[in-house]
Amino acid sequence: MAKLSLMFDAKLVKEVPIGARPVRIGRSPDNDLVVDNLAVSNDHARVYFESGRLVVEDRGSLNGTFVNDLRIERATLHDGDSIWIGKHHIKVDATGDAPLPYGSPRKQSAPLINETMVLDTKVRRDMLQQAAAMGERTQFAAGRLQVPTIVVLAGKTDAKEYVLTNKLTTIGKSPMATIKLRGWFKPQMAAQINQRDDGYYVGPGDKTPLLNGVAIPGPTRLKDGDLLEVCGVRLNFIVRE
Amino acid sequence: MQISSGGATHVGMVRTNNEDCFRIVQPLQLFVLADGMGGEAHGEIASALAVETVVKHCMEGQENPSAPLLGEAAPALTPKTRRILSAAHLANQKIFKSAQEHPEQQGMGATLTVAWINGAQLSIAHVGDSRVYLLRNGMLQQLTSDHSLVAEQVRRGILTATEAEQSNLQSVLLRALGTQPEVEVDVEQVEMFPRDTLLLCSDGLTRMVTEPEIAGTLQAEPDPQRAAERLVEHANESGGVDNVSVIVVSFKPESKGWFSWLRRGARQSVSGNGSAGGH
Repeated sequence: MAKLSLMFDAKLVKEVPIGARPVRIGRSPDNDLVVDNLAVSNDHARVYFESGRLVVEDRGSLNGTFVNDLRIERATLHDGDSIWIGKHHIKVDATGDAPLPYGSPRKQSAPLINETMVLDTKVRRDMLQQAAAMGERTQFAAGRLQVPTIVVLAGKTDAKEYVLTNKLTTIGKSPMATIKLRGWFKPQMAAQINQRDDGYYVGPGDKTPLLNGVAIPGPTRLKDGDLLEVCGVRLNFIVRE
Repeated sequence: MQISSGGATHVGMVRTNNEDCFRIVQPLQLFVLADGMGGEAHGEIASALAVETVVKHCMEGQENPSAPLLGEAAPALTPKTRRILSAAHLANQKIFKSAQEHPEQQGMGATLTVAWINGAQLSIAHVGDSRVYLLRNGMLQQLTSDHSLVAEQVRRGILTATEAEQSNLQSVLLRALGTQPEVEVDVEQVEMFPRDTLLLCSDGLTRMVTEPEIAGTLQAEPDPQRAAERLVEHANESGGVDNVSVIVVSFKPESKGWFSWLRRGARQSVSGNGSAGGH
């Protein structure tokens, strides 16, 4: 069964199992895990199972709740995580199954994965928050807004700079192209840039563009600072924050 | 441009009912596809309601361009894009209302993917994990973002695209029609070129058939109806664990006029295939 171990200076203070009810953490004596320190709020945090996941939730404490150095309002806990509250920390032992909620058979707690389902807003928020927390742990800037931009370095185009806002950006002479090329014998659609989930990919149109001086073999992912050359027009792909 | 289209749907090899629904309205060049969800037969109700609502709303808009529009639209959107955006909001309201009024339909919903073509201008409205692809110059490009948990995680850099394909959480959607009173709808406007091929499909295709296989099939089969049927067969041959629906729209150069004739001849001699030769 999953449990929380309250530690102070590497000394074990108290251990509580995590059952079906939330574990209440705080300074006042009616908590399940009492942390006797002025830096801890009376009702500081709660730890509980939700859809099979162990969740810690800050109760609006003054000095905050931290999971592995990251201040959180809510976060999903994993085995071995540490929750820091003031100078105390709580070791998370998440081994063992999530307890069954009262009065509901196990079958309902495990949704059929093959069946399409929509996350309602609360669960969605939780999962995305967890995703964001994971993102920060793995050094990805989840919160910052990134603006992919094409800057024209040389050649005739209708603007000097383009912000890529569409799924598909076309480069060519066509009046509908996003990046319009000027001049005789320029193809209607010379090249295209496709936004995918993991980034922007440049692909051939009627011409094969050069990426950093090399003809692309097929759709190629653009990296910040890449140089693109198509029909004598030189473009610079920059991701702005 | 000459536009021809075809569509196919199949219950698949595992399920017993088909919750997908699609409609091709040839005179309007309107293409609608929805994938329903919810227990019993309710997924079917949701997807049919979505498709029916969109088609009706677009037809009304065609007859009376000043017919009321739902939802806020950015100023750069064309009237047709605004119309399908509005249609998606209306479909959401109708499914949500129906589920509220009939407790047994609780939790039903649908994905919705709409493509409306006006000359060379393609308008897309989209909610969920059905997809629109554009095959251009042999390159298959997805024109929609999946509103699924795994796709969101790829966008946030938590999963790679490969990990997402192997995840067992692929069926978890972040957006669908009919599950909330309001829904956020994605719209896109894309210019089409002669020899482009457009594909609308439910996740029953993309879970079973890889993108290179899809591109290969579309290139090998110039007839849109037969291409749609081949794609459905492919999905079923690969296991067919879900309902699969496919709409294929092909764009070909106008056959009249000396200029396009000249251009077509040049293209044929360059590309070496006969697919540009009218239809």
